[in-house]
Amino acid sequence: MSAERAGADVALKRRRRSPLGSRWTPYVFLLPAAAYIFVFQAVPLVQEIYLSFTRTNLLNPTRSVWVGLENYEKIFASAGFQQTLLTTLVYVIACVVGAVGSGLGVALLLNGRFPGRGIARALVTVPWAAPGIATALIATWMLNAQYGIITRVLRALGVDVGESGILDNPDLALTAILATTIWQLFPFVAVVLLSALQSVPAELTEAAEMDGANRWWTFRVVTWQVIKPTVGLVALLMTIWSLRRFELIWLMTRGGPLGTTRTLVIDLYSQAFDSKQLGNAAAIGMVGIVIALIVVVGSRLVSRAAERGA
Amino acid sequence: MRRVRIGVVGRMIGVLIVLGIAVFPIYWMFTTALSSDADLFAAQPRLVPDFGQFGVFVDALADGPTLTWLRNSTVVAVGTTALSIVLGIPLAYALSRFSFRGKVAVGLLLLMTQMLPEALMVVPLFSLYRRFELLDSLVGLVLANTAFVLPIVALVLKGAIDGVPRELEEAARVDGSRPLTVLLRINVPIIAPAIAAAAVIAFFHAWNEYVFAVTFIFNKALQPASVGLAGFVGEQGTAIQTIMAVAFMFTLPAVAFYLFAQKYVVSGMTAGAVKG
Repeated sequence: MSAERAGADVALKRRRRSPLGSRWTPYVFLLPAAAYIFVFQAVPLVQEIYLSFTRTNLLNPTRSVWVGLENYEKIFASAGFQQTLLTTLVYVIACVVGAVGSGLGVALLLNGRFPGRGIARALVTVPWAAPGIATALIATWMLNAQYGIITRVLRALGVDVGESGILDNPDLALTAILATTIWQLFPFVAVVLLSALQSVPAELTEAAEMDGANRWWTFRVVTWQVIKPTVGLVALLMTIWSLRRFELIWLMTRGGPLGTTRTLVIDLYSQAFDSKQLGNAAAIGMVGIVIALIVVVGSRLVSRAAERGA
Repeated sequence: MRRVRIGVVGRMIGVLIVLGIAVFPIYWMFTTALSSDADLFAAQPRLVPDFGQFGVFVDALADGPTLTWLRNSTVVAVGTTALSIVLGIPLAYALSRFSFRGKVAVGLLLLMTQMLPEALMVVPLFSLYRRFELLDSLVGLVLANTAFVLPIVALVLKGAIDGVPRELEEAARVDGSRPLTVLLRINVPIIAPAIAAAAVIAFFHAWNEYVFAVTFIFNKALQPASVGLAGFVGEQGTAIQTIMAVAFMFTLPAVAFYLFAQKYVVSGMTAGAVKG
């Protein structure tokens, strides 16, 4: 806290009668939203944690039986769940690498002088603004087995995508989902990194170039050092979002073919609403939340260590 | 000098390729909607829209449930926007202007909500809603959507309030105004653009939302457009042109308004992750 702020606070404390003097004021402002989040987020979360230790059927949820760790033992023993974990891992890593990589490339491309720059920056955000449902519909149509434009182009190029189409092909479905996800995400990364790039002092890059450094070297020793924290932050957001992404995958493949696109969230939803096993579904959800927590806490530790090292 | 000019040309080619990738699927949605059956299923598809087919948009609105869907989506989106702004402004003010016990916990809670998938929360909310008769109700969707968009709205607004000079408030306080009056009279008018941006975020969060709507709504007359559109997937009866026309009409407002709010959305979301 700055000295003036501290001084102001002392002054305010002296004026006890002042409406701002009350120490309860912040809580009064906080209360409505906090109560709301408590009812609609915290309570359901606690219920979900409880459910994960019970056997509960969707059709008769009041009769739930406490089973301890049984749901967790069951899911970790099942080969299907191990495939789900692996798919989730591949999906999340590929999303993060793909979105951050392409987003950074686009940000570098847009961070220069060229005519029409303002329009280009606006138009590039279109994929991110488009509703997920609409994206799933157009992607499904573009990948249609007979008439989809992407299928037609790939076939014309001599790529064998199989008779049943890309989304029904176990070797290609996940790639198609990934490409669609990255298409949706890269504009967000690009816009965030573009604003980070604009905070790189021009004198530094110019000085490096004057010293005869080539572009790659300048990028590595100057630009990258400045944008590194933002890149880390965006990668963290991409990880959390990809762990919870539902509608795009659900609408394009429902986790199929042969479970090749079944991530944790897809698995939990179909356990709850197709198999009606709420306890199992909750346990799968908890695994997802624990993974997200590990990622968040881990990234904090890494960035702290980096700060201390610097 | 020569090298610089080639650099600009190369950069522009790169930008054009990226823009093509970004915009093509939306363009293709529009073109597919405006294609005749003959063009759609020909060996060589038509690559530009056939404006003679424009009636497909009119028919999509006139026949079938499209208008009901869009109306329901609008009701849910307006409700979510109003509720999350009303709850979000005081929360943002508390986070921006006061230091108090538990502030860190509140920040962590807001970050936590970013990690909870809707698909997980839908189960406990389902049983809560059954007890309070909120299933098959647009109010139920407003309540659920608000819970998920409120943290983002609050962070966007907090960023804006951080930028309001304290001196402006102090003048009002010396006059003896209460904190709520200060917030409403001084801060709210100044941060109006950020409130508008937060409203856009909340509106289209609800407009696009699918999981809650598909799980909580059984009555077809109450379906929002996201669920209606998703119902086209795997269904054989509806012409692809109609589907794409409805999808395009559903997409257009979201894209148009996001272009306006983009700057605030991005700064709000990244700020949220930094602070947590």
